[in-house]
Parts: sequence; C-alpha cells; structure tokens
Amino acid sequence: MAAASTEEYFDLLPIDLDPQTKAVTTSSGAPKALQAELRLLNELHRSLLTLETSPQIPPPPIPVNPKRSANLTKLKDSGNDLYRKGRHGDAVKMYTLGVQMALGRPLWEPQGLVREEVANLYANRAQAHMALQNWAEGAVDAEASVEAKRAGNAKAWWRRGKCLLEMGRLDEADEWVGRGLEMEGEEAELLALQQEVTARLDKIKKEEEERIGSEKA
Amino acid sequence: MFDVDWWSLALPFGYIFVLGSSLYVFSTIYRKRKAAESANLAPWFPAHLQKEVYSTLLELDADKDRKTKVPESVVRAALLRRAVEDIARIIQVRQAKQALNTLLQRGSVGEDLNQRFQRAEKEIEEELKDVVMEANALAPGWGQTIFQSANEIAANTVLRNRLDEIQNKSAAEKEWWDKRRETIQTEFMKELEEEPAKGSTKVSSDDDAVLVDSTTPVTTPSKKKKGKK
Repeated sequence: MAAASTEEYFDLLPIDLDPQTKAVTTSSGAPKALQAELRLLNELHRSLLTLETSPQIPPPPIPVNPKRSANLTKLKDSGNDLYRKGRHGDAVKMYTLGVQMALGRPLWEPQGLVREEVANLYANRAQAHMALQNWAEGAVDAEASVEAKRAGNAKAWWRRGKCLLEMGRLDEADEWVGRGLEMEGEEAELLALQQEVTARLDKIKKEEEERIGSEKA
Repeated sequence: MFDVDWWSLALPFGYIFVLGSSLYVFSTIYRKRKAAESANLAPWFPAHLQKEVYSTLLELDADKDRKTKVPESVVRAALLRRAVEDIARIIQVRQAKQALNTLLQRGSVGEDLNQRFQRAEKEIEEELKDVVMEANALAPGWGQTIFQSANEIAANTVLRNRLDEIQNKSAAEKEWWDKRRETIQTEFMKELEEEPAKGSTKVSSDDDAVLVDSTTPVTTPSKKKKGKK
C-alpha cells in the first residue's frame, strides 16, 4: 500500500498556461531544468501546430513529405552551378540556405535523412570555402560534415585534412587524416594527403635538427 | 496411566516457546530491515521531469475553476516530450545491462546495484505501457507510432546539438587564422627586406643579428601555443 501510494503521488509543478499564446510558463525562480524543459516543450508544441493533419500528431517517420526534399535539391543544385561558374561566395550563401532548411526539418522526421543531406551540404560548403581560401571555415564545415556522416564521406575527411595542412596545423592534420583512413579504408586521395603531411612534418624535423646542429657547432 | 505431570513438562514447553518467539522476532525484524533497505535504495534515474509536467497539465485541465483550459495540442506535445525522455532512458538501460552483467559475474559490484537496476527496468516497462495507453486515448492509433517519432526526435536533437557545437567554433577559428596569417605575412615581408640589407652592409652585421634574434623568437612560440588549442 505504502509503495503504491508513493508511486501515484507527485508534486504539482509550479507551471501555468499563458491564456493568449497557450505557452506553458513558470515563474522565473523555478529550477533551471524545468525552465529548459518548458522551452523545449513549447518549441515542440509550436512545430506540432504547423501540421496539417487532424488530430495534430506527428506522422510516422516514413514516408517523408517530399516538398522539403525537392527544395533542398534545388538549393544544392543552384549552389553547385554557382560554384562551377566560379562565384564561390554566392555558392556559400546558397549552401548556407540549404543547411538551414535541412536543419529546419521537424524533429520527428528521420534523422538518417537529415544526416545525409546535411553532410552533403556542409561538404560542398567546405569546398566553396576552400576555393575562397577560407581555410578556417572550410575546416569547420568539413568537420561538421564528418560528424553528420562518418563512413563513406572521404571527401569531407580529405577537405578538413587539407584545410589544416594549409593553415600549417600539421599535427592536427596528421591525426585527422589517420582517423579518416581508419574510417574509409585505403582511399587514394587520403593516402596522398597523408604522404604530403608526413613529408612536411619530416622537413620541419630535419630543419629543426639542422638548426640545433648548427647552433652546437 | 494418563496422569501427566504438567509441572515437569513446563520446562520443555517453555524452551520451545522461547525458541519460537525469538525466531519470530528475529525474522520480523530482519524482514523489516530488508524492506526498509530496499525501499531506501537510490533510484536508478532521477525524477522524471517530463512525466511530472504532463501529469501537472492534466491536473490543471481537470481543475474546473480555471478560466483557460489546457488545449489538447499542449497535452499531446507534453506526452511526446515524455516519450522522448523514455527513449533516452531505454537506451541507457540497454547500454548498462551488459556491462552490469559482466561486473556482477566477476563480483565487482554489489547485489543492491543489481536490485536498483532491475527496478529501473521494470519501471521503464510500465512507463512505456502507460505512454502508449495515454497516446491511444489522446488520438486513436497514436500509440503505435509515438515511440517511432520520439526516437527520431531524440536522435535529431543529439545531432543538432553536436553540429551546433562544431559550427560555434567557426568564429574563433577564423579569428585565430586571420591573426596567424597576418603574422606569417609580416614575417615573410621582414625576411624579404632583411636579405638585401644583410648582403650590402656587412659592417653592421652584428646589429642585424641581434635584431633577428630579438624579433623572431619572441613572436613564434606564442603562435605555436595558440595553434595547438
């Protein structure tokens, strides 16, 4: 009896409903965890309200609403066109729009799909950044691409490695490319990049030794 | 024949009585302590905040004195949040199970940990059934898909957080690289300027050597440190 009653018993939380916005609110002195939870709840509620079905419950993950996928392909294609024409800055903007749209998918849509799309867009944006010699942004984008899709994403592995190499961060590049090779197997481009990195590292080591040698002499 | 001497039997009976009652007292006290111990075992999971929010909303809805009713869409959203948290807990339980079993076999962890775990497992099972029932009550047939949706929501949230984390580094990285590029360029220019100077004025080469020593080593190490961050 005692156990049963404690299970059923719970403290009413200090929450209330905004009459206009229908948002669930709490006092500002409430615990941080509760405030964060309510923010997520209200966000989810708003995105549920955009559903056109009745009652408004999220549809099963599959099949996916094809509208957004079509728009995304359009954005990616126009980005690719701009890149080929050499307008790299505009291509970056187009890919950025694409990333925003891909991440704007409602949360209940399949995450595998989001990963695929986002990995592609980030990898392309990294390439556009590299064409502009924005190595820092390129490195970050390629890392994001790899985070979204680890295996079968050799291009993104290569691009971050290349960016790090260009910035002279040889140790990081060496480690990154090594991990990429573990993930992707013997990818020719990655192997070539690894050789390049090790060559640069060896050169620096030699120079260092020579410098020390000449100082001693 | 049947004349029993009750007085001489008093001692054995007394013995049996004392033995029985002491065993009884021991067993009741022992059981009570055990029950209290297992009741005091810390729960595996912290309080289920999402479930509390959901229950509170239902409670608010049941309150007749309130002017603003809780819309059903809010209740549905709250139930979905609860299901998302359940998914996180299921994943945690599944991951812990194997590790716990090996540790138990080796005797590395105590029995009470196992008890806590089994209770958590049972609780989550009940919780899942409860959510499915609630979902079916809110919208017919929703119980079949709510956990599919919750699963995607949980995974998507993790993915977006990771991507945000990576993208947030972008500004700092760019700033670092701009500074680094500038110093590389200035150094390069200096080298270009110094080379002809060295060749023409050999008399003041001592001064030049001092200059080179004082400028280059001071700037390079600080950059190297930054680069490794």
